[in-house]
Amino acid sequence: MSEEEKKEVQRIKELESINLAREDIRDLVIETKKEVEKDNDLLAEQINDRLNNYGIKSIDIVGAIGAGKTAILEKIAEKLSKKYKIFVICGDITTRVDANRIEKHNVTTVQINTGRECALNAYHIHQVLKNQDLSKYNLIFIENVGNLICPSDFKLGTDKRLTVVSITEGEWVIEKHPMLFKMSDIAVINKIDLLERLGTDVEKMIKDAKRFNPDIRVITTSAKDGKNIDKLIEALEL
Amino acid sequence: MKKHLKEIGKIISSLELNSQSQIRGLLYNFLRMNLKHSKIDNYIGDYPTFIEPVYLEDNVKIGDDVLLGPNVYLGKNVEISDYVEITNSIVFDNVVVGENIKMDNCIIGKNSLLHCKNTPIDNCVVVGNVKTKEDLYKIMYKFK
Repeated sequence: MSEEEKKEVQRIKELESINLAREDIRDLVIETKKEVEKDNDLLAEQINDRLNNYGIKSIDIVGAIGAGKTAILEKIAEKLSKKYKIFVICGDITTRVDANRIEKHNVTTVQINTGRECALNAYHIHQVLKNQDLSKYNLIFIENVGNLICPSDFKLGTDKRLTVVSITEGEWVIEKHPMLFKMSDIAVINKIDLLERLGTDVEKMIKDAKRFNPDIRVITTSAKDGKNIDKLIEALEL
Repeated sequence: MKKHLKEIGKIISSLELNSQSQIRGLLYNFLRMNLKHSKIDNYIGDYPTFIEPVYLEDNVKIGDDVLLGPNVYLGKNVEISDYVEITNSIVFDNVVVGENIKMDNCIIGKNSLLHCKNTPIDNCVVVGNVKTKEDLYKIMYKFK
């Protein structure tokens, strides 16, 4: 591959669209994209094997900014930090605000600031885990960057994926983001305490999630007052 | 931290043939003892990816698509080019790291210029200026 072609592939990768590739390098761009996806999935499998060898349960949490991922994680940590030795990897574009919040609940955290990248990938997780003494933990959570689109491109090697949305995002939020719900084991509809005021059609949200993924378990929660957090913990088999 | 850096700086400036285990121990201890938290609030560049802990001294310049951490110390005026990845390493003051260098478990001595592109390096000390991969392999001191 010439230097110019390399630059072109890089540009296309950044734009994340094969449609933008010139005809003469379209094949190359498609091959590169396939390779990158394959490498991520392979690494994710290795991560999962490694965690299983250590007897560590693992869950990744995805959802939009402000849906309540961190608040739910705080509630779970509050209830489980005596039963489990918990390690949390937090992904954010910048800052360590979430990691600081979760750390108050007696768990160990590592913050990844992804900068211009919109989601965590398996390589990020691999880099964190290979530098940790995994025998110290038996439960790992990965809180992804707040985003309902990009995380669907990258498996992280966890046992379960939990997607969090809130009723403040409107009843169309699940319908508009089918991919993540197809890839998730559990969908949480949070901020249910605001239902009376907002009048969001939660039944539609549940129906949409089930339509995209009949096996998905949907739980309505309020991280603010702790409603149904126990139910969520039970669904996570913790 | 300063005391440990001074000690490491002194040792890598006059390396002996049998210093491998000493260097390895110093690097490991420095990273574990001094980098418990990140300091990434003061750099020049466009949002790299940081996996904590990463400690940046003043006036560090960072290029595009750079991944730093975990366990990375960068000294004053260090310049990191595009597509660089550094883990578990100490980079002393005024070092320039060239494009697409992937570095793990390394110590790079003060004022070194690594202008060789597209080079993976690991478990070594580098002190000096290099323009090619071959030059780099000639001067690097492997400790594993």
